[in-house]
Amino acid sequence: MAGVFRFSSPSRLFGARLASSLAASPLDLLRSQPSHYIIASIVGHRHLLAPRDLLTIPRIHDARVGDRLLLSEVHELGSRDYTIRGDPILPASVVRVEATVVEHTKGRMERIVKFKKRKHYKKTVEHKQTYTRIRIGPFQIGTDIAPVETKNTQSYT
Amino acid sequence: MPRLPHRLPPTIPVKKSILVSRPANGHEVFIPQIRKLVFEYCDAWSSSANLRRYIFNHVESLARENPHVEVVVKERPSKHPIVRGFYLNNRDKVIGLKEFDVNQIQNKVQLLLDASGHKIVPLKRKTVVSTAESARGIWSGFHVQEPYRI
Repeated sequence: MAGVFRFSSPSRLFGARLASSLAASPLDLLRSQPSHYIIASIVGHRHLLAPRDLLTIPRIHDARVGDRLLLSEVHELGSRDYTIRGDPILPASVVRVEATVVEHTKGRMERIVKFKKRKHYKKTVEHKQTYTRIRIGPFQIGTDIAPVETKNTQSYT
Repeated sequence: MPRLPHRLPPTIPVKKSILVSRPANGHEVFIPQIRKLVFEYCDAWSSSANLRRYIFNHVESLARENPHVEVVVKERPSKHPIVRGFYLNNRDKVIGLKEFDVNQIQNKVQLLLDASGHKIVPLKRKTVVSTAESARGIWSGFHVQEPYRI
Protein backbone atom coordinates (compact mmCIF):
# COMPACT_ATOMS: atom_id res chain seq x y z
CA MET A 1 0.00 0.00 0.00
CA ALA A 2 1.24 3.52 -0.72
CA GLY A 3 2.60 5.18 2.36
CA VAL A 4 5.50 5.57 4.76
CA PHE A 5 5.48 3.68 8.07
CA ARG A 6 7.36 5.30 10.96
CA PHE A 7 8.49 3.40 14.04
CA SER A 8 10.00 5.47 16.85
CA SER A 9 13.21 4.35 18.64
CA PRO A 10 12.86 2.15 21.76
CA SER A 11 14.49 4.76 24.05
CA ARG A 12 11.50 7.04 23.47
CA LEU A 13 9.00 4.42 24.45
CA PHE A 14 8.91 4.73 28.22
CA GLY A 15 5.59 3.44 29.54
CA ALA A 16 4.46 2.12 26.13
CA ARG A 17 3.58 -1.49 25.31
CA LEU A 18 5.56 -2.63 22.28
CA ALA A 19 4.41 -5.49 20.09
CA SER A 20 6.69 -8.42 20.82
CA SER A 21 7.23 -9.19 17.15
CA LEU A 22 7.81 -6.58 14.44
CA ALA A 23 6.42 -9.06 11.95
CA ALA A 24 2.92 -7.80 12.93
CA SER A 25 1.33 -5.68 10.21
CA PRO A 26 1.51 -1.87 10.52
CA LEU A 27 -2.25 -1.62 10.97
CA ASP A 28 -2.21 -4.18 13.80
CA LEU A 29 0.53 -2.21 15.53
CA LEU A 30 -1.41 1.02 15.13
CA ARG A 31 -4.61 -0.56 16.37
CA SER A 32 -2.84 -1.83 19.49
CA GLN A 33 -2.27 1.75 20.66
CA PRO A 34 -4.89 3.53 22.76
CA SER A 35 -5.32 6.83 20.91
CA HIS A 36 -4.91 8.03 17.34
CA TYR A 37 -4.91 11.19 15.27
CA ILE A 38 -5.33 11.95 11.59
CA ILE A 39 -4.21 14.81 9.40
CA ALA A 40 -6.93 15.42 6.86
CA SER A 41 -7.69 18.07 4.26
CA ILE A 42 -11.21 19.43 4.56
CA VAL A 43 -12.39 22.18 2.21
CA GLY A 44 -8.79 22.98 1.29
CA HIS A 45 -7.37 23.23 4.82
CA ARG A 46 -5.29 20.62 6.67
CA HIS A 47 -6.30 19.83 10.23
CA LEU A 48 -4.98 17.52 12.93
CA LEU A 49 -8.05 15.72 14.20
CA ALA A 50 -8.98 13.21 16.87
CA PRO A 51 -12.32 11.48 17.42
CA ARG A 52 -14.98 13.65 19.13
CA ASP A 53 -13.43 16.89 17.86
CA LEU A 54 -15.70 19.72 16.75
CA LEU A 55 -14.43 21.33 13.54
CA THR A 56 -15.64 24.67 12.15
CA ILE A 57 -15.42 25.01 8.38
CA PRO A 58 -16.93 27.38 5.79
CA ARG A 59 -20.64 26.74 5.17
CA ILE A 60 -21.38 23.63 3.09
CA HIS A 61 -24.72 24.40 1.48
CA ASP A 62 -25.42 20.91 0.14
CA ALA A 63 -25.14 19.15 3.48
CA ARG A 64 -28.04 19.18 5.91
CA VAL A 65 -27.77 19.05 9.69
CA GLY A 66 -27.39 15.42 10.73
CA ASP A 67 -25.74 14.26 7.48
CA ARG A 68 -22.65 12.06 7.71
CA LEU A 69 -19.68 13.14 5.58
CA LEU A 70 -16.83 10.81 4.65
CA LEU A 71 -13.35 12.36 4.87
CA SER A 72 -11.78 11.41 1.56
CA GLU A 73 -8.40 13.14 1.93
CA VAL A 74 -6.62 11.68 4.93
CA HIS A 75 -2.89 12.35 4.69
CA GLU A 76 -1.66 10.73 7.87
CA LEU A 77 -2.85 8.35 10.56
CA GLY A 78 -0.77 8.17 13.69
CA SER A 79 -0.58 7.16 17.32
CA ARG A 80 2.03 7.51 20.06
CA ASP A 81 4.64 5.26 18.47
CA TYR A 82 3.58 4.63 14.88
CA THR A 83 2.50 6.72 11.90
CA ILE A 84 1.27 5.88 8.44
CA ARG A 85 1.65 8.65 5.93
CA GLY A 86 -0.03 8.71 2.54
CA ASP A 87 1.44 9.82 -0.77
CA PRO A 88 -0.35 12.25 -0.80
CA ILE A 89 -3.45 10.58 0.66
CA LEU A 90 -3.98 7.25 2.36
CA PRO A 91 -5.99 4.60 0.52
CA ALA A 92 -9.49 3.88 1.77
CA SER A 93 -8.46 0.44 3.07
CA VAL A 94 -6.20 2.02 5.74
CA VAL A 95 -8.58 4.31 7.58
CA ARG A 96 -12.18 5.43 7.27
CA VAL A 97 -13.37 8.52 9.13
CA GLU A 98 -16.85 9.99 9.03
CA ALA A 99 -18.00 13.33 10.37
CA THR A 100 -21.54 14.44 11.25
CA VAL A 101 -22.83 17.90 10.42
CA VAL A 102 -23.88 19.27 13.80
CA GLU A 103 -25.02 22.75 12.87
CA HIS A 104 -25.04 25.50 10.30
CA THR A 105 -24.34 28.75 12.05
CA LYS A 106 -23.19 32.31 11.52
CA GLY A 107 -20.41 34.20 13.28
CA ARG A 108 -20.80 37.46 15.15
CA MET A 109 -21.78 40.59 13.20
CA GLU A 110 -18.70 42.25 11.67
CA ARG A 111 -18.86 45.89 10.75
CA ILE A 112 -16.40 46.98 8.06
CA VAL A 113 -16.17 50.76 7.94
CA LYS A 114 -14.54 52.42 4.94
CA PHE A 115 -13.74 56.06 5.45
CA LYS A 116 -11.84 58.81 3.65
CA LYS A 117 -11.42 62.04 5.54
CA ARG A 118 -12.47 65.38 4.01
CA LYS A 119 -13.96 63.55 0.98
CA HIS A 120 -17.46 62.89 2.32
CA TYR A 121 -16.91 59.13 1.92
CA LYS A 122 -18.02 56.70 4.56
CA LYS A 123 -19.36 53.24 3.93
CA THR A 124 -20.40 50.60 6.42
CA VAL A 125 -20.69 46.94 5.44
CA GLU A 126 -22.37 44.62 7.93
CA HIS A 127 -21.47 40.96 7.51
CA LYS A 128 -21.99 37.64 9.29
CA GLN A 129 -19.72 34.84 8.09
CA THR A 130 -21.51 31.51 7.59
CA TYR A 131 -20.00 28.34 9.06
CA THR A 132 -20.72 24.64 9.33
CA ARG A 133 -19.63 22.72 12.41
CA ILE A 134 -18.90 19.02 12.07
CA ARG A 135 -18.16 16.41 14.73
CA ILE A 136 -15.47 13.85 13.88
CA GLY A 137 -16.59 10.26 14.36
CA PRO A 138 -14.55 7.22 15.46
CA PHE A 139 -11.59 6.09 13.33
CA GLN A 140 -12.05 2.75 11.59
CA ILE A 141 -8.56 1.35 11.00
CA GLY A 142 -7.83 -1.46 8.55
CA THR A 143 -10.17 -4.44 8.58
CA ASP A 144 -12.85 -2.68 10.69
CA ILE A 145 -13.87 -0.72 7.61
CA ALA A 146 -17.40 -1.39 6.37
CA PRO A 147 -17.89 -1.53 2.56
CA VAL A 148 -18.38 1.93 1.05
CA GLU A 149 -21.66 2.67 -0.71
CA THR A 150 -21.01 5.20 -3.44
CA LYS A 151 -24.63 6.14 -4.15
CA ASN A 152 -24.60 9.76 -2.98
CA THR A 153 -21.06 11.11 -2.96
CA GLN A 154 -20.22 14.79 -3.33
CA SER A 155 -16.70 16.13 -3.11
CA TYR A 156 -16.24 19.29 -1.05
CA THR A 157 -12.49 19.71 -1.60
CA MET B 1 -6.23 -20.28 25.47
CA PRO B 2 -3.88 -17.89 27.37
CA ARG B 3 -3.73 -18.38 31.15
CA LEU B 4 -3.79 -15.49 33.62
CA PRO B 5 -0.55 -15.00 35.62
CA HIS B 6 -0.63 -16.10 39.26
CA ARG B 7 -0.14 -12.59 40.56
CA LEU B 8 -1.98 -9.81 38.72
CA PRO B 9 -0.23 -6.43 38.44
CA PRO B 10 -1.32 -3.83 41.04
CA THR B 11 -4.32 -1.78 39.92
CA ILE B 12 -3.78 1.84 39.03
CA PRO B 13 -6.08 4.20 40.96
CA VAL B 14 -8.60 5.68 38.52
CA LYS B 15 -9.39 9.37 38.68
CA LYS B 16 -13.08 10.17 38.96
CA SER B 17 -12.82 12.65 36.07
CA ILE B 18 -11.99 9.77 33.70
CA LEU B 19 -15.31 8.11 34.53
CA VAL B 20 -17.31 11.24 33.69
CA SER B 21 -18.59 11.27 30.11
CA ARG B 22 -17.95 14.37 28.07
CA PRO B 23 -20.67 15.37 25.61
CA ALA B 24 -19.90 14.94 21.93
CA ASN B 25 -23.17 15.25 20.04
CA GLY B 26 -22.77 13.76 16.59
CA HIS B 27 -19.82 11.49 17.38
CA GLU B 28 -21.80 8.23 17.17
CA VAL B 29 -25.39 9.44 17.48
CA PHE B 30 -26.69 12.86 16.48
CA ILE B 31 -29.49 14.50 18.49
CA PRO B 32 -31.04 17.59 16.85
CA GLN B 33 -30.75 20.51 19.25
CA ILE B 34 -33.98 22.31 18.36
CA ARG B 35 -37.06 21.09 20.24
CA LYS B 36 -39.81 23.65 19.58
CA LEU B 37 -40.77 26.33 17.05
CA VAL B 38 -43.45 28.85 17.97
CA PHE B 39 -45.00 31.08 15.31
CA GLU B 40 -46.76 34.10 16.80
CA TYR B 41 -48.98 36.17 14.52
CA CYS B 42 -51.68 38.81 14.74
CA ASP B 43 -55.06 38.38 13.00
CA ALA B 44 -55.69 42.08 12.48
CA TRP B 45 -52.41 43.75 11.58
CA SER B 46 -51.17 43.66 7.97
CA SER B 47 -47.54 43.06 9.04
CA SER B 48 -48.59 39.46 9.83
CA ALA B 49 -50.23 38.87 6.44
CA ASN B 50 -47.25 37.00 5.00
CA LEU B 51 -46.79 34.93 8.15
CA ARG B 52 -50.47 34.01 8.07
CA ARG B 53 -50.00 32.93 4.44
CA TYR B 54 -46.93 30.89 5.43
CA ILE B 55 -48.81 29.25 8.31
CA PHE B 56 -51.71 28.40 6.01
CA ASN B 57 -49.51 26.92 3.24
CA HIS B 58 -46.25 25.63 4.70
CA VAL B 59 -46.37 24.97 8.42
CA GLU B 60 -47.95 21.53 8.16
CA SER B 61 -45.33 20.23 5.72
CA LEU B 62 -42.62 21.80 7.88
CA ALA B 63 -43.87 19.87 10.92
CA ARG B 64 -44.07 16.67 8.90
CA GLU B 65 -40.51 17.02 7.55
CA ASN B 66 -39.12 17.74 11.03
CA PRO B 67 -40.74 15.19 13.37
CA HIS B 68 -38.27 16.00 16.16
CA VAL B 69 -39.60 19.58 16.42
CA GLU B 70 -42.77 20.59 18.28
CA VAL B 71 -44.43 23.24 16.09
CA VAL B 72 -46.79 25.68 17.80
CA VAL B 73 -48.88 28.37 16.14
CA LYS B 74 -49.98 31.04 18.56
CA GLU B 75 -51.90 34.31 18.31
CA ARG B 76 -50.15 37.44 19.53
CA PRO B 77 -52.73 40.20 19.11
CA SER B 78 -51.72 43.79 18.30
CA LYS B 79 -48.04 42.90 17.96
CA HIS B 80 -45.71 42.33 15.01
CA PRO B 81 -45.11 38.69 14.01
CA ILE B 82 -42.22 36.68 15.44
CA VAL B 83 -40.91 33.12 15.42
CA ARG B 84 -39.25 31.60 18.47
CA GLY B 85 -36.98 28.56 18.52
CA PHE B 86 -36.40 26.67 21.76
CA TYR B 87 -33.30 24.50 22.15
CA LEU B 88 -32.11 21.70 24.39
CA ASN B 89 -29.61 23.96 26.18
CA ASN B 90 -32.57 26.00 27.55
CA ARG B 91 -31.81 28.97 25.31
CA ASP B 92 -34.16 30.42 22.76
CA LYS B 93 -33.76 32.44 19.58
CA VAL B 94 -36.41 35.00 18.63
CA ILE B 95 -36.61 36.39 15.09
CA GLY B 96 -38.97 39.21 14.11
CA LEU B 97 -40.84 38.61 10.87
CA LYS B 98 -42.31 42.06 10.32
CA GLU B 99 -42.72 42.77 6.57
CA PHE B 100 -40.98 39.55 5.57
CA ASP B 101 -41.90 37.67 2.37
CA VAL B 102 -42.84 33.99 2.57
CA ASN B 103 -39.41 33.04 1.16
CA GLN B 104 -37.64 35.17 3.75
CA ILE B 105 -39.75 33.56 6.49
CA GLN B 106 -38.69 30.13 5.15
CA ASN B 107 -35.03 31.19 5.31
CA LYS B 108 -35.37 32.33 8.91
CA VAL B 109 -37.16 29.13 9.90
CA GLN B 110 -34.36 27.12 8.28
CA LEU B 111 -31.82 29.19 10.22
CA LEU B 112 -33.57 28.25 13.47
CA LEU B 113 -33.75 24.56 12.49
CA ASP B 114 -30.03 24.46 11.62
CA ALA B 115 -28.82 26.25 14.76
CA SER B 116 -27.68 24.60 17.96
CA GLY B 117 -29.00 27.21 20.38
CA HIS B 118 -25.57 28.33 21.55
CA LYS B 119 -24.79 32.02 21.82
CA ILE B 120 -23.31 33.53 18.66
CA VAL B 121 -19.58 33.94 19.24
CA PRO B 122 -16.67 34.73 16.91
CA LEU B 123 -15.69 31.48 15.20
CA LYS B 124 -12.80 32.62 12.99
CA ARG B 125 -10.02 31.51 15.36
CA LYS B 126 -11.67 28.41 16.83
CA THR B 127 -11.23 25.88 14.04
CA VAL B 128 -10.87 22.71 16.11
CA VAL B 129 -12.41 22.37 19.57
CA SER B 130 -11.09 19.21 21.17
CA THR B 131 -11.21 17.48 24.54
CA ALA B 132 -8.84 14.71 23.41
CA GLU B 133 -5.33 14.57 24.84
CA SER B 134 -2.59 14.50 22.22
CA ALA B 135 -2.04 10.99 20.83
CA ARG B 136 1.73 11.37 20.61
CA GLY B 137 2.12 12.82 24.07
CA ILE B 138 3.87 16.00 25.17
CA TRP B 139 7.64 16.27 24.95
CA SER B 140 9.44 16.39 28.28
CA GLY B 141 12.99 17.60 28.73
CA PHE B 142 13.42 15.27 31.69
CA HIS B 143 12.71 12.15 29.64
CA VAL B 144 15.30 12.31 26.88
CA GLN B 145 18.43 10.25 26.34
CA GLU B 146 20.83 13.17 26.67
CA PRO B 147 19.50 15.82 29.11
CA TYR B 148 20.70 19.31 28.35
CA ARG B 149 23.58 20.38 30.60
CA ILE B 150 24.14 24.07 31.24
